[in-house]
Amino acid sequence: MSTIATKVLPPERISTDPIERKLYSRDVAPVPEVITGAFLRTTPDAVVRPGNSEQVAALLREATRARVPVTTRAAASTGFYNTVPVRGGLVLDVNDLRGVVRIDTSRKTVRVLPATTWQELDDALSTYGLATMSYPSSAVSATVGGWISTQGHGIGSLRYGAVADQLVELEVALPDGRLTHVDAKSFPPMGWFTEAEGTLGVITAAELSVRPRPEAESIHLLIFDEGGELADAIRSLARWEPRPFTLTFADPGYFALLSGAGFRTPLDPTQHPYLLLACFQGDPRLVGRARNAVARLHHRELPPEMASEEWGQRLYHLRVKRAGPSLLAAELWMPLSGLAGYLRSVARLSSAVCLPVASYGVAVSQDWAMVMSVYPADERRKLAYLCAIGFTKRLHDLGARNGGRPYGVGLWNTAYLPRLFDRDRLAELRSRKAALDPAGIMNPGKLYGTPLPLRAPLFGPASWALSTLFVASSRRRQ
Amino acid sequence: MKWVASFDGLAQEAAICAYCGYCRAVCPTYSAVGWESCSPRGRVHLARMLLEGVPLSPSQAARIYHCTLCGRCSEVCATGIDLRRFWLEARKTTAERALGPAGAEEAVRQAVLSGNIYGYDNDERAGWLDYMDEVPDSLRLGERADLVYFVGCSSSFSPRAQRIAESFVLLLGETGIQFTLLGKDERCCGYPLLAAGRLAEARTLIQENVALCREMSPSAVVFTCPACRLMWMEHYARELPGVRLLHSTEYLWALQMEGRLPSFHLESKVAYHYPCDLARSGGVYDPPRMLLNSVRGLQVLEISSPSQREECCGGGGDLEMVDPSLVAELAVRRVSRLAGTGADAIVTACPQCVRTLSRGAEKAGCQVEVMDVVELLARARL
Repeated sequence: MSTIATKVLPPERISTDPIERKLYSRDVAPVPEVITGAFLRTTPDAVVRPGNSEQVAALLREATRARVPVTTRAAASTGFYNTVPVRGGLVLDVNDLRGVVRIDTSRKTVRVLPATTWQELDDALSTYGLATMSYPSSAVSATVGGWISTQGHGIGSLRYGAVADQLVELEVALPDGRLTHVDAKSFPPMGWFTEAEGTLGVITAAELSVRPRPEAESIHLLIFDEGGELADAIRSLARWEPRPFTLTFADPGYFALLSGAGFRTPLDPTQHPYLLLACFQGDPRLVGRARNAVARLHHRELPPEMASEEWGQRLYHLRVKRAGPSLLAAELWMPLSGLAGYLRSVARLSSAVCLPVASYGVAVSQDWAMVMSVYPADERRKLAYLCAIGFTKRLHDLGARNGGRPYGVGLWNTAYLPRLFDRDRLAELRSRKAALDPAGIMNPGKLYGTPLPLRAPLFGPASWALSTLFVASSRRRQ
Repeated sequence: MKWVASFDGLAQEAAICAYCGYCRAVCPTYSAVGWESCSPRGRVHLARMLLEGVPLSPSQAARIYHCTLCGRCSEVCATGIDLRRFWLEARKTTAERALGPAGAEEAVRQAVLSGNIYGYDNDERAGWLDYMDEVPDSLRLGERADLVYFVGCSSSFSPRAQRIAESFVLLLGETGIQFTLLGKDERCCGYPLLAAGRLAEARTLIQENVALCREMSPSAVVFTCPACRLMWMEHYARELPGVRLLHSTEYLWALQMEGRLPSFHLESKVAYHYPCDLARSGGVYDPPRMLLNSVRGLQVLEISSPSQREECCGGGGDLEMVDPSLVAELAVRRVSRLAGTGADAIVTACPQCVRTLSRGAEKAGCQVEVMDVVELLARARL
């Protein structure tokens, strides 16, 4: 396998070391080998580190010729196995394609390499009085290329849209070895790559629109007694003009878990607060009107210093993992109209099964939010952890009942493929794949089809059985 | 820092690690090496493998030492792990399994045998005083004094770093304050042994220094080396109640505030490099900067990018003993960034940073001068 790489790269950029390869066989979600070993080859045969776009393209050309699977990886900061190989082959570690190439202050655009993190990009832009329009809630590690490849909704999307809306152009290495530039009008169009999760090619550079660094900022931390009040407030503020930069929220379960993990919370978690953090940015005069928007809501507001502290921790939701030590999660794309129902259902379930479930999220448009529901587990207790994994389906099912669907696909969410895409949409995606990657080398086993163990006849009953055992053990512990 | 980092044992913290990669984005050695095994999260995983009994080769285990202990990973850790402590415990575990890198083990052996990490004759510790044009009368070598200057191995033996000790002694001499050194009886503080995962072997050295310090009964011990100061704060302080442990810049700034230092004047542009063991791990940010600001004619320049302002030079955590070429690469990078501000000189407050950055400047062919704050002050005396 590494002979393909040696045609393109010097030996020091190729590793076949077993321990090294092992480290590339996971992402943020640890999955027991009893599952992965049953039907996947998650350890790559070799890891390669191209140093430039041309090397990426050449590697893809050679891999296509030899029909070797290629999985692209930068931060690997998702939990769906988007960046983990499932059929061995090469892992293409693109982290050396990192840095800002050019900042155009007059056009307000930036050309950036794909492994640059969103925080690094924003840091570089700040020197020029500019800022990114949006960024993921994992901006410290999440990369530009990774977020673009996975739809890119997060903090700032409410005001500025998905990252796809900010893209001017992408440079992409295609499986046939071509290095090409795509935009909204090209063929293939840029949009194909912003939801392909690395299955059509490798993004090797991106040009993005950016914004002037906001002159003013107004942050408000609001408390609600009910999830319904919280959802109403989000819907109301999401329609306010000027639009808030972002609205993030968390339920009482989140603060209970945070407190249990040993962190200070804005309120006593026993008060069961739903918290909404509203951030308005931009022109000082318009931002000044934010107070009017907030004042119209029926709520209590916490002091500004507490709001600032919460804002400072917006990239640190993972703190709750200390309560685990592992954390399992369902990430959902949820209509705001169904948010209250979902939060209510989760609270009811959490109470019924005696399991702390924490939900937090961000409004990404006037109608939609991304919600992460997490619960503690311990991956070191292998059997119990296996059972715990089954519980995620219950959360996904609650999401579906309230109009939601999984956010991101990768491998694990192919179990919910019918919820994600209708037949026509899936056919369209598959036709793109056939057009650009007929040999099927790019990130195979993801997105377009469901492997047998994740298909309904097996997955549903297995998840139900495992989660039933998990719930029983959780109740016993209580 | 948003909260106090926690450490509940190596196995527990390894399980808590979210593998999110926040640490990866700021790690100096990962940015140079590039393999996942050299990222902090990769090292956490390696430590976990060690604990689980996965057989690792010495070169695979050595990755745990491919770290400068700079602590940037701890600052950003999404799950609040005290990663500096994690690395020290992971190294202890590695050393216990006889997988410690040869270079680090050799330094431990030298320190235990000779009392210094270089393996020199420890009687020569204060030999640098012989090269000073004039030793201040206020230095009471071999006598008790209220102030002890703990020189450290680097400033005692490294020709480049000896100039730092000389400068500090000159500055103290200007104040007339009586002080003393531990001289030939001073032992390595133990920090390199701690970093090698061999704290147990450092115990004798610590006890010898503590006993000597008790004999002197000073009210304060002052250090030009931030690693020595950190070691004393973490492993000596409990045994020396009431003794203040201060970095040279803290001590000098206090004197400056009391008007007991001379005036300083130097027309130059300098960039300040924050030593990790002094600033991030030691909590001393302002005194060196304030001292520089007190020099008339001196312009202190800053790296524009906030995330690059406090990067490590590469010189910490015993990395020099494990992979000198990696240290050189990091130093060249750091020098380029600091020199990129347009500074004539790089100023820092740590003999190890001075040594590392000086070599980096030389390797990069960069004309910028590298010096310690006390060297600059000694030069700028009016």
